[in-house]
Amino acid sequence: MPEFRFEPVDMPPAATHLRAEVRAFLDEEKAKGTFTPTVGAMVAADPSFSARLGARGYLGMTWPKEYGGHERSALERYVVVEELLAAGSPVMAHWIADRQSGPQIRKHGAERVKKMILPEIAAGRCFFAIGMSEPDTGSDLASVKTRAVPVEGGFRVTGRKVWTSYAHMAHYVIALVRTGGRPEDRHVGLTQLIIDMKSPGIEVRPIINVYGSHEFNEVTFDDVFVPEDMSVGGIGNGWAMVTSELAFERSGPDRFMSTYPLLVEAFREIGESPNASEAAELGRLVAHLATLRRMSTSIAGMLNEGKSPVTEAALVKDLGTTFEQSIPEITRRLLPLEPRGGGNGQVYDGLQQLAQMQAPCYSIRGGTREILRGMIARGLGLR
Amino acid sequence: MSNETEDGVRDLMLRSLDRIVEEKAEGAAQKADGKPGFPAALWTALEEAGMTALGEENEGDLGLGNAAALIERAAYHTLPVPLAETILARRLLAKAGIDIPDGALSVAPPSANRDGKAAGVPWAGSVAGVVVVTSPDTLALVDARGASSPGFNMAGEPRQTIDLARAKVVASAKLAEAAKIAEAEGALIRAVQMSGAMSRVLEHGLTWANDRVQFGRPIARFQAIQHLMAELAAEGAAGSASALMAVEAMAERGDRLSAAIAKARTGEAAGRVCAIAHEVFGAMGFTQEHTLHYATRRLWSWRNEFGSEVQWQAEIGRTIAAGGADNLWATLTAHG
Repeated sequence: MPEFRFEPVDMPPAATHLRAEVRAFLDEEKAKGTFTPTVGAMVAADPSFSARLGARGYLGMTWPKEYGGHERSALERYVVVEELLAAGSPVMAHWIADRQSGPQIRKHGAERVKKMILPEIAAGRCFFAIGMSEPDTGSDLASVKTRAVPVEGGFRVTGRKVWTSYAHMAHYVIALVRTGGRPEDRHVGLTQLIIDMKSPGIEVRPIINVYGSHEFNEVTFDDVFVPEDMSVGGIGNGWAMVTSELAFERSGPDRFMSTYPLLVEAFREIGESPNASEAAELGRLVAHLATLRRMSTSIAGMLNEGKSPVTEAALVKDLGTTFEQSIPEITRRLLPLEPRGGGNGQVYDGLQQLAQMQAPCYSIRGGTREILRGMIARGLGLR
Repeated sequence: MSNETEDGVRDLMLRSLDRIVEEKAEGAAQKADGKPGFPAALWTALEEAGMTALGEENEGDLGLGNAAALIERAAYHTLPVPLAETILARRLLAKAGIDIPDGALSVAPPSANRDGKAAGVPWAGSVAGVVVVTSPDTLALVDARGASSPGFNMAGEPRQTIDLARAKVVASAKLAEAAKIAEAEGALIRAVQMSGAMSRVLEHGLTWANDRVQFGRPIARFQAIQHLMAELAAEGAAGSASALMAVEAMAERGDRLSAAIAKARTGEAAGRVCAIAHEVFGAMGFTQEHTLHYATRRLWSWRNEFGSEVQWQAEIGRTIAAGGADNLWATLTAHG
């Protein structure tokens, strides 16, 4: 009988000080007008903001100093990340590099590559995109067709990736490609390659999303050369790399904080004396948020101890994305959205409209809800 | 928070409870269902094992943590005894400085206490004493045997109405915010119980889904069933996380907001967990004969007792709103 226990974590004493420091920095940035809080968590991007975070030591936090890191604990990193999201700050430029690509390169990359790339990520100057999906490959990731053919000193890559978020801003893409076998061979013969976006033969074409924003792209590779040591985890190990990468990035605060700034604005609009139904609806959301945060920090603690809470992480993403999608739906019942002439309400109105249009993506990105439920079912012994 | 020795002690205690259940409680929930009376032999076994006097304040974190673990497991076993109520009553009496009588005890939910009647009181007519909030800051210990009219909750657990004029007051003492404390501690205990009962429902559901064959295969192989069970597990896990968080926060600092969050979240989860479980079990689980309902009817009852999730959600909403929108994040992160 599987039992899911979300034990408390002891935040290191340094975390309290760090939290205050990050808040002060964010207040300063807001006061200077460098960003306006927005919804979406991994949507707004500002390379100069990322560079300022890097300069303050908020990126690559857990990595060794020799790779530009700061040797802080995963829980300290957690504190920084959740503060950045709570403030609705523009973190997307560096997000993938700091959360996912950097840690993978650190664990599974070649020494030359680590020395070349990690310090740049930690400085907030080097951004990554993820090349997993293809036109015929969505949730069924093992069916990728993009091929990497071995040549002298490396590979030649040909194929097409889609929904590649911020490829237009990224310096590198980590692409899942086929180095052996055919699509029917599924998990066998897949490799993750780090591809320099400046390489000849790459074309990035914007795909404008449902609310008119340019976030993702189609990226085509036409005989693009990739040096041999630019693989992550070695040739043929792509599937293991991809699954471990996805499993551990599902439980972070970015999976339930996307519409948090809207919740704050709803509280502001409703004021200090809510009526009974307003109080109950908002209180319900707070109860969910506090619980999700407990589950998520608890998983951060498990990861810190070297455990592999794969099912727990999937549970958090399923609950978390449902929660962040519910915020616009519930707040619009309390605060009807009608155009208003002016005043503070405009902030709420803007976030509300954006959140409604953005919400569908929360349970698609990083593994759809249906894929996650299948994983949970596997963890429960049902398949 | 807990070191290995403490975990070891807790483990031993839980195993000893499992053993008592195995030896003395077979079919207990069924036998007690909707019947007045008191399972004295089972109670004595728990008392002799030292399980009924846990969780008092002077024992600190460990006390409440161990008590909560025991309450959760007793709820998992759907044990028809006022174990949670006795532990709750003892905690309240200790806070008010009232001498604690031996034997099983209970607590009258403060919000169901009006016009000289305390309604919805667990086992009022068969326990040695009931803690009643007689004013917002006064607690009394009353003997309600002979002053209680019968009644049951949806799970057939005794929930009686005390005629306070006829009950014998054994002791009374001032306790600042007595009503609020009794409500919050009661909510915490019901949240912990719901966590235990939800894990029982999950276990039942997983066994059933793997055993039941339709269309030539176990229904667990159908994606529709897998997704329902995944949702059930997620809701149960969220409920249990919120209850665990509240046990720590109440032990450390009497954090009322954490109890409110736990009762709100477990109560909501309980509704979904019961609905999904019955859907998966089909007609089979809808019979008196099946044991699923001993857990689901308790969940339907407990989510209402000591304040429904809606009442606690509203309190959370009012508290956060009064603190101002910009303090929400500071409140959520105040304790790490």
